[in-house]
Amino acid sequence: MTEYVMEARHVYKTYRIKGTKKEDTKIVEAVKDVSLQIRKGDIKLIFGPSGSGKSTFLRCMAMLDIPDKGEIYLGDQCLTKPGVDLNKARARIGFVFQHIYLFRHLTALGNVELALRKVLKLPKEEARKRALAALEEVKVTECINKYPSQLSGGQAQRVGIARAIVRSPDIILLDEPTSALDPELTGEVIDTLRDLAKEGTTMLIVSHEMPFARDVAEEMIFYDEGHIIETGPPSLFFNAPNTDRAKQFMTRIINRTTRE
Amino acid sequence: MDGWQQLIFLLEGVPLTLSISIFSFLIGIAVGLPLAFIRVYEKEIGFVVDAYEKIWRGIPEIVLLLLIYFGLGPYFPFPFGNAFFVACFVLGLRSGANQSQIYRGAIRGVGDEQMIAGSSVGFSKWNSIWHIMIPQVFTFSTPGLASEYALLIKDSAYVYVIGLAEVTTRSLQLKAMPPVDFVTPFVLAAVIYIALTFPIAFTLDRWGNRRKKKIGL
Repeated sequence: MTEYVMEARHVYKTYRIKGTKKEDTKIVEAVKDVSLQIRKGDIKLIFGPSGSGKSTFLRCMAMLDIPDKGEIYLGDQCLTKPGVDLNKARARIGFVFQHIYLFRHLTALGNVELALRKVLKLPKEEARKRALAALEEVKVTECINKYPSQLSGGQAQRVGIARAIVRSPDIILLDEPTSALDPELTGEVIDTLRDLAKEGTTMLIVSHEMPFARDVAEEMIFYDEGHIIETGPPSLFFNAPNTDRAKQFMTRIINRTTRE
Repeated sequence: MDGWQQLIFLLEGVPLTLSISIFSFLIGIAVGLPLAFIRVYEKEIGFVVDAYEKIWRGIPEIVLLLLIYFGLGPYFPFPFGNAFFVACFVLGLRSGANQSQIYRGAIRGVGDEQMIAGSSVGFSKWNSIWHIMIPQVFTFSTPGLASEYALLIKDSAYVYVIGLAEVTTRSLQLKAMPPVDFVTPFVLAAVIYIALTFPIAFTLDRWGNRRKKKIGL
């Protein structure tokens, strides 16, 4: 029995960006030899410049992108071995997207309920009960019958979080859950994440919400150019990071936050 | 026959015109939807879909009806000896080729993100398609489907060549009956076709627009 809920071992991922001409095709090395271990109840936060490959790494963890090399473990199960039922594995992982990606043809309740009914095959009443409980947890009970297009960004993202937590997954991966929202709406989503943290939910979050990071993250991971550059508790990063790059990045981001 | 009797005679062909176009439309859905998804998500065998579309869209319906009814019918009386079956078969498979293109555009319009969201909650590819993509694809394609349905109502007129007594065939029969009148039967037929295509296309369009607004497509 492994002590980790989830683990990445020497993961690599490159992808191509096709240009208009053949010679414009760029190969981006988004993940280069990244390893990471997450224990039950851990809250880890990945941050770093945009375009550095954080999101690609997170998608590799959920096997939404298949790594070129290396292993992803969910508990004892190696997901990168051929022949693994990835759909079953993904059902045990919650994923929250930057651009939310709610199912547009379903109401908020329908979004949360769908996988319970069709993936976990729960009976109707039980699925309804669990979906309502999840929506209550993220505090969007007033608009459960609205369609995604009728929700505010903050409400939509909280429904996105409810959709991720309702299956009681082993871990929740969040890809910049607040960065596509208007600044005045990020607060409500952050509050939801704080609630989840209090309940001991295991989370790996890509985010630049520094006050949130300082309060809830056990470990912060500075990621740049496809590598993990430095890891440590928030106190390390907020006082004196070891690497120059992390130091520069923290200075920039803290200045930006105070200016706002 | 006076005008009223002519109209009633033509109207008796409406159930046949309608049933040919409805069955063809349904066959078109059953064929077109899988083809569109195969074309988008199974790229290695996409050429089969392309070939299918090229063939069915490249041959005039009249030729297909004649070929299958008179060419294959005598050798395979079941099912190709049955004119109604041949009509639905030809128009349905042709509509499948058209609908495949309509749905393909809609799949791109709905977007890959919905598929990714589907796999993130544990759906297999084909389950995502069934539970998430198809409901949205239908909404997205309503304008195209409305004109496809109108097209089928009109194309059902071709089946006069295999002798089914639908509206067009009946108008030809009227022309041959006394009193000799080359105008009224066809004017009435034209009016009937408009009356059949317009309300359904209009309703489908309006339903689609309303639904699209609701789900923000």
